Amino acid sequence: MSRLPGEAIATRPVHFIWIADCSGSMDYDAKIQALNQAIAEAVPHMKTVAGENPNAQVLVRVITFSDGAQWHVSVPTPIEDFKWTPLKAGGMTDMGKALSMVAEQLTIPPMTDRALPPVLVLISDGQPTDDFAAGLDELMSRPWGRKAVRIAIAIGDDADLECLQQFIGNCELKPLRANNVESLTAFVKWASTAVLKSASSPASQVRGAVAPSGNVPIPPPPDPVTPAGPVDVW
Amino acid sequence: MGEIHWEMFGASVRGAAHSRDGRPNQDCIGWARDGGAGVLAAADGHGSAKSFRSDRGSRFAVQAAVKEILTLIGPHDAPVSLSAIKRMAGGALPQEIVKRWIEVVDIDLREPDGESRVEVGSGPLIAYGSTILAVGLTGSFAVYCQLGDGDILCVSDEGECVRPLDKDERLFANETTSLCAPQAWRDFRVAFQVFSERTPAMILLATDGYSNSYRDDSGFLKVGTDILGAIRCEGWESVKNDLPEWLSETSLRGSGDDITVGLIVRNDIIEAGRGEQAAASSTP
Repeated sequence: MSRLPGEAIATRPVHFIWIADCSGSMDYDAKIQALNQAIAEAVPHMKTVAGENPNAQVLVRVITFSDGAQWHVSVPTPIEDFKWTPLKAGGMTDMGKALSMVAEQLTIPPMTDRALPPVLVLISDGQPTDDFAAGLDELMSRPWGRKAVRIAIAIGDDADLECLQQFIGNCELKPLRANNVESLTAFVKWASTAVLKSASSPASQVRGAVAPSGNVPIPPPPDPVTPAGPVDVW
Repeated sequence: MGEIHWEMFGASVRGAAHSRDGRPNQDCIGWARDGGAGVLAAADGHGSAKSFRSDRGSRFAVQAAVKEILTLIGPHDAPVSLSAIKRMAGGALPQEIVKRWIEVVDIDLREPDGESRVEVGSGPLIAYGSTILAVGLTGSFAVYCQLGDGDILCVSDEGECVRPLDKDERLFANETTSLCAPQAWRDFRVAFQVFSERTPAMILLATDGYSNSYRDDSGFLKVGTDILGAIRCEGWESVKNDLPEWLSETSLRGSGDDITVGLIVRNDIIEAGRGEQAAASSTP
């Protein structure tokens, strides 16, 4: 046989979705600029992690929420082609709508059951202004929503930690609290490299014996960074 | 159709990702015969941090399945009816396989090989966690048996592929049922088939690293069609020779996981292939 048996061979997709708060409060104290910078700096590291595992295809999307929610990058984009285009802030905090729109994309199809667990990273500085519970319910009603690796980063002291904890859905994993640019950068880099690497390297987990942290081992997050200058800027 | 005879073969390759990470091949395959009965089994050790001895666990799984299925379907001192075998396949067999696997794991835990029992903690079975896929068959019937992920395909003479076992919807997002789970026998899927005019031309067993390497399920099912075609056109020996290379290449370009494939092929298919080969080689 001159070729391999069967039809098209493919690496396994791992979907990575940024769920970013673009409400008006993100404009204060340059939080949105800090987030833009943190993700832009993380992208090359994501490419490196993806390059180290050629058997997983990292596909990136970005959704933002403010007055409603909208896909900033709607097409699952291979990380090697991904470029960060800055977000702008303004409006309310319709986090529930964003979760609902992510849920729509985690159905099968368009997802496949051979995919690796998706990674969802929710970043917010405030309180949801819409029906957060309905959005979360919709997300968790999808098999890939329940099995996704869900990470939350709280920016500043006004973030709704309880909602973010509900999104994570695992008492062993807390929202990461970023009170300065350095911490935000460290958490964003961790989520987009260490967590991505773990999600991309599957090992079977025994059904019924899966840890509360889920079917992907979550590496320990970094500690918040304490810069030399003012400790907390947010 | 007269008495059916079967040939068995298999290959197991270390996954491309395992080679990169320095992990061993945690799959295993084995087959055996006793009189007119044969069994082929494949297993996939979980490979997670908790299942750090799963390369051994998969080996023990294959041993247990081969032994217990051969005991069930092999020669008996007194005749055993098909209905009795069918009943035991769906009832006692999974329990016997699990029991045998636990016994062998327990023996391994007592081996003074430098790795203490303490290392495996209070739940030692999970360290050896593994799936199991097995097919036992004679000239007149087959028993299909599966716990956990992976695929068993029956390929007809026309090249059509079907799964003899129902899909287990719980096997999703890296989660699998396992020999190490409490009351694991309850999670077995078992089917019994009496051969008739629809006797499979080939039965294929594969660990999930194989199907996960294909873009979709229809592309994977074509594997059965293509391998049967290759046996007919290029010969059984050629397929046996090429199989490990196919699997390594598929892992490299696909899932990166270990891949193990077992083939059970009706002897008349193999003989027909040999005839084709002889005719082709004698053509000037």
